[in-house]
Amino acid sequence: MVLKSYISKNTFRDSVYLMRLSNTVRGFEGIIEAEVIIGTDHNKKFLQSGGLWSDKIEKEAGANDLIIAVRAENEEKAEKAIQGTLDELNKSVESENLLGEFVPRTFETAKKNLPGANLVLISIPGRYVEREANQILDAGLNMMIFSDNVPLEAEVALKKKALEKGLLVMGPDCGTAIINGVPLAFANEVNSGKIGIVAAAGTGLQEVSTLISNLGEGISQGIGTGGRDVKAAVGGITVIQGIEALLNDKETEIIVIVSKPPDPEVTEKVLAAAAKSNKPVVVNFLGGNLEQVRKAGCEPAVTLKEAAEKAVRLARKINAEPDDTGHIVDKALVRKTKENFKQDQKYLRALYSGGTLAYETLIMLHKSVGSIYTNLGFDGAEIISDVYKSEGHTIIDFGEDEFTQGRLHPMIDPTLRNNRIIEEAKDPETAVIMLDLVLGYNAHPDPAGSALEAIREAKEMAKKDNRHLCFVTTVCGTDEDFQNRSEQVKKLKEEDVLVFPSNADAAAFIEELLK
Amino acid sequence: MESLFKSELKVINMGLEGFAETLNERGTTVMHVRWQPPAMGDDDLLSLLDKLK
Repeated sequence: MVLKSYISKNTFRDSVYLMRLSNTVRGFEGIIEAEVIIGTDHNKKFLQSGGLWSDKIEKEAGANDLIIAVRAENEEKAEKAIQGTLDELNKSVESENLLGEFVPRTFETAKKNLPGANLVLISIPGRYVEREANQILDAGLNMMIFSDNVPLEAEVALKKKALEKGLLVMGPDCGTAIINGVPLAFANEVNSGKIGIVAAAGTGLQEVSTLISNLGEGISQGIGTGGRDVKAAVGGITVIQGIEALLNDKETEIIVIVSKPPDPEVTEKVLAAAAKSNKPVVVNFLGGNLEQVRKAGCEPAVTLKEAAEKAVRLARKINAEPDDTGHIVDKALVRKTKENFKQDQKYLRALYSGGTLAYETLIMLHKSVGSIYTNLGFDGAEIISDVYKSEGHTIIDFGEDEFTQGRLHPMIDPTLRNNRIIEEAKDPETAVIMLDLVLGYNAHPDPAGSALEAIREAKEMAKKDNRHLCFVTTVCGTDEDFQNRSEQVKKLKEEDVLVFPSNADAAAFIEELLK
Repeated sequence: MESLFKSELKVINMGLEGFAETLNERGTTVMHVRWQPPAMGDDDLLSLLDKLK
């Protein structure tokens, strides 16, 4: 086995491109591990911990250089992989030159060349965001910050500045937004319509907007705020700004607010802003206090599905039923599924790519199924001691930092989750494996197809041991998404995977199954 | 911000090129910035440059 590295001086590519390239290199013959990565201090530490470190990297690689590091079976295969990587890098430069398009290197140049630009989508490393974002606000533009690892003080300062200037800062860590019908970053292709959403929860916005669209209504605006907006330090600046903007927006007739429970003082501020509304407001503070929402004159919703359904009924001027929180569970299907389990099969293993969906399932199940082990911060559940090994009922969010460090998000690359499906199948105590398949722009082109490869192997493994595993899924998306929701659902159903219309429906079925 | 809702969305994309590609494919006006860390990623040089501005 050999370890080889190559440093390409003054070469920069974006992180998603490089992670995809790393995956390609790992696929070369005889390669055991590989990374193609920029030589920042943070990335160097990552290479050290991953066993790809060398003196050459330590001495030669700087923050503006590209490192190709491979561990291979022999020298020849390592050389071939490095040459293959350089060829790929050159190809991307050639295609850019062939297009002959002007590609600016700074915001200032881009602004000069795109008159009327009104929004900047930022996905650069977090530590550089504040500097760029200040320039953007000074130039009078709104922005969506996809980047994470932006210091909290920077978020507060940027949002206060934006508020003074009447501009919108969505994020940091804002993965999804829909502005003027345009889906940004990971958003879905949904109908345009009269329901406006403000969401401090990324997949929460995806779930609510797609369910509304699938029910035949549409979205006016989907404003993402980033999860930290509802913390006391930020004070809900963007959520409140978003509510006020939707109140003044003629296209918006109904407002939906989605968030994990905000800090208490922020809850009061947000509800005070919503109470001023002459438009109906549906509020889903996942696991929050329903009575407090009602007192503010808003419609509380326990689940994301309920928020979508209430908004649709209000849009159609059908009275929303305040206590309608039930889910219709197919009892015969529950009985039939239970009959197939062996005595030891008693646990749920929920493997999520969407954090808000995982959180919703945790909220729905924690009171009824006993202890749940998870890597999500939640008072009512147990902290899992090893995120790579399930115990009892387990709910894992594969979008958390421990899984995404140096890797693509599971919505783009589900490899880690697929491997985990196989691991869960080996455990004789596993009864149900729950998966969310999230469609939308920039996500995996065929999440169902990818999951099914692992599901088939898992089923085969269980079958040899005379066990039957129950696979429960939900597909978050629409038929207008490029992955096509109906096609994805069909593929899953053809292989006896249970597909539920929403995450809450799937969780309600699991709850009944585990009782 | 209200004017944002009333006008056609025109996006400057800074960072992940894939975001610009998908917007372009669906017909949204977008200009991609091939962003690189300023001052060659050297923090000391960067703070010096910012002082000069």
